[in-house]
Amino acid sequence: MEKISNHPQQELMAAYSAGSLPLSQALCISTHLEHCPECVRKLQRLDHVGSELMQQLKPAPASSELRDKLFARLDSLTEDSGTEDSVEKVDQDADSAVPKCLRQFVDEGFDKLQWKRVSADIQSVQLCRDSNGARVELLKIRPGGSAIKHTHLGDEYTVILEGGFSDESGLYGEGDFLFRDNSDEHTPVATQHRECLCLAVTEGPIQFTGVFSRLLNPFVRRNFAL
Amino acid sequence: MAFMAHKRSSEDKLTALKACLTRVAEDRDRGAFAELFNHYAPLIRAYSLAREPGADLVADELVQEVLSRVWLKADKYNERLANLNTWIFTLARNCRIDYLRRNSRYVTEIDPTDIFNDIEDEGPGPFQQVQQTRAEESIHTGLKQLPQEQAEILRKVYLEGKTHQQTSDELKLPLGTVKSRVRLALKKLEVLIER
Repeated sequence: MEKISNHPQQELMAAYSAGSLPLSQALCISTHLEHCPECVRKLQRLDHVGSELMQQLKPAPASSELRDKLFARLDSLTEDSGTEDSVEKVDQDADSAVPKCLRQFVDEGFDKLQWKRVSADIQSVQLCRDSNGARVELLKIRPGGSAIKHTHLGDEYTVILEGGFSDESGLYGEGDFLFRDNSDEHTPVATQHRECLCLAVTEGPIQFTGVFSRLLNPFVRRNFAL
Repeated sequence: MAFMAHKRSSEDKLTALKACLTRVAEDRDRGAFAELFNHYAPLIRAYSLAREPGADLVADELVQEVLSRVWLKADKYNERLANLNTWIFTLARNCRIDYLRRNSRYVTEIDPTDIFNDIEDEGPGPFQQVQQTRAEESIHTGLKQLPQEQAEILRKVYLEGKTHQQTSDELKLPLGTVKSRVRLALKKLEVLIER
């Protein structure tokens, strides 16, 4: 595996470790973690920060009723009450190219999804929406293909799953995590030799900035409001 | 000296708790489980109450949820990946995320189980383990020396479960300041240094 050079920002990793990140962003971090042992180690240390802070709290005594209630249910607890079994089953069925955390949306490999054509170069499939309205989707750019130049009205998080692309600020490959806010304007172009597959989380409607495509904007926005 | 003694006693405590967990894993020992309850239940309740002050029922539910997982997964605990306190923290965090998702007014279609599942690691090598232990020590001592304003933000994020935006609203600080204080704190704690 090539060394990954684009990682989630520190404060984003801390929020992930704290559990205070919207789940759509957490999904991107988790996907990156499956590619990046270095960030896994960082996360373990961040978790340790949380643990130390927890130890500093003034303990809030637990009642003996609570203890009795818990002890009474120990015998009836089974692994089913966790989700371990179902996760293992999914693991066996799923295409190993699909990151674990995405298998809840992709049961049979990326090819079997209902891809929609966005432009001559791009196909997309929406996986879900988060409670903050963010859109979680997969994007497929054909080799050498380019996305329409665009800015964002909200933030955008991207993790590259396969292939790579470049834009005004650099070259990105598998596992790279990218964050773009609404001041960034960029035109991603997929590398020549292979298709590029990305996970993208968009928190506001995308704004196209080409003269021609500006006409598209009202439609895009309406679509987003649905 | 008093500090060293304190450190020693908290290490002894942790060793004793770890022995309890082993007895739970191997012998389903309820006495040992009671000791884990006595130590961790008040901490888990405090963690829950930090986010929702006064919500005692929610706090009790979190205790049940977390300690049920401890009972079920005792044999899965891997000392090499996290110390026991940290394992308990991650379980409490995961259970809280589950709880919030189930009880939120806003629907999300994302199941957090697969996101925050225990991350599998091939197991760190001995060298990395030494690094992790050293990192844990610098976090432990560093937290005590952190400027108040940085510690406050870490507590908001980690214990109260506030997003950066919520922290910024609450403390009437620009969002950029919140983020930079988080970064400064992590730098002081040497969390992100590759040694």
